[in-house]
Amino acid sequence: VNAARRLIASRLLAAASHLLPPDLARWYRAMAREVAEIPDDGAAASFAAGCLRVVLAVAVAARVRAVRAAVRDLLVPVPPSPWSPPMTTGITARPRLLGLLCGALAVGMGMAYMLAAGAPPRYLIVNLAALILGGALWLALARTADTPPAKAGLASLALAAALLLTALSGLALEGASRWVSVGPLNVQVSLIAVPLMLVLYARRPDAVGTAAIVAAAAALALQPDRAMAGVLAAGLVALVAAQPARLALIAAAASALAFVSTLLTPDTLPAVPFVDRILYTAFDVHLLAGVAVLTGAAALVAPAVIGVASGADERPALFAFAACWSAVIAAAALGNSPTPLVGYGGSAVLGYLLSVALLPGGARASRRGGAPAARSDAGHGTGHPVSKLQAARPI
Amino acid sequence: MTRKRALSPHARALLAALLGAHGRWSYGYELASLTGIKSGTLYPLLIRLEAQGHLEAEWQQPAASGRPPRHAYRLTAAGERLARGEASLSASDRPAAGWRAGEAAS
Repeated sequence: VNAARRLIASRLLAAASHLLPPDLARWYRAMAREVAEIPDDGAAASFAAGCLRVVLAVAVAARVRAVRAAVRDLLVPVPPSPWSPPMTTGITARPRLLGLLCGALAVGMGMAYMLAAGAPPRYLIVNLAALILGGALWLALARTADTPPAKAGLASLALAAALLLTALSGLALEGASRWVSVGPLNVQVSLIAVPLMLVLYARRPDAVGTAAIVAAAAALALQPDRAMAGVLAAGLVALVAAQPARLALIAAAASALAFVSTLLTPDTLPAVPFVDRILYTAFDVHLLAGVAVLTGAAALVAPAVIGVASGADERPALFAFAACWSAVIAAAALGNSPTPLVGYGGSAVLGYLLSVALLPGGARASRRGGAPAARSDAGHGTGHPVSKLQAARPI
Repeated sequence: MTRKRALSPHARALLAALLGAHGRWSYGYELASLTGIKSGTLYPLLIRLEAQGHLEAEWQQPAASGRPPRHAYRLTAAGERLARGEASLSASDRPAAGWRAGEAAS
């Protein structure tokens, strides 16, 4: 009978040992070894039964602590430690969505400025219509959020062809051929095509995309469009800095050559009211108008800057985007180039919202990597303190 | 923060047994036999003593060849201080308890 009791108690002890937290598993082995050393079956059975009680009590206590810790974490979220990866679930790590909001903010600021400056109502209507159209296109391009667009190179080639056609047969003004007529509007093709091409190429820098960039650089040199050639070069330099690659270097070199070429050609276009040089003149209108213009300009680069800081996916695309729109703002500050979104013109609004629509969505990381990491953290939070709690308890 | 609380009689008995080993390693069943503490009480005490730094534990190869190693225990320096403190407290308590017992008997 005692031999059977010993056997049963030992088997139960072995089975219960799987319930122990990992840091206490060696204590089961210690108990089992002692049971094995006891010559008398009755004493061994009693010893094993006592050990079984210990193992079960420890296992239950560990689980109770785990549940309590999980509930506490749920009610009072633990802030991320300095070395942990940034949270990827908030809007700050979703550049595509944040970009839409920033675009709407910039257009709103621009409309406020134009109202204060007394711009014709048609200007406000054009910007608002471009915002609505851009928002619809943003929705239509939702599929690009998760993975880099499969036909990015072909799309870039089509955009480069549009730039070349504009250079060869677009509307010309003061020796520059940058526009096409769409109904009552004159659209500046480069303000739409270049930001799109930069984001597409940053997300999928293949040979077809490189050829498209080289063609686009040539088209900008032909038009000529100094500001957008500089924008293209700035975006590609940022891309090479973020993710050095041979093809990207070729693209950056071609765009730099195109930019240098435009620098050699005098830009004789005059400043257009409510479009050019408003970064300087807005404060003459009203202090709040100036603040609105600066806020709108800052909003343009915010999605990429915040996205990078929040650990969003595909950082090279965000770097290229930030460099692109920073360069557009710089061009507006330095010369007679349109002030993006804030100034009148549907081209910049469409170009911005389309380039935003092609940015990575950012939610991929939170769906695939964020949740397991959080579970892992919870595991650490509930598993390790077992021995610490034991250390704090009186003997 | 750890609360200061009087040790249980079992904890005192275990500390006394370990102190009496004079630095020699002791096994679980041996300690249970020496102190009369059941295994269900002994191991929680050992686990807590080790977690608090009063006890060190290691796997030791038995003298008999072919046997698997056993978990052995001995007091750390801190554990010895605690055990000696408890022993002196018990010694100072003893005359009073004896006096009361004698008084009650007389």
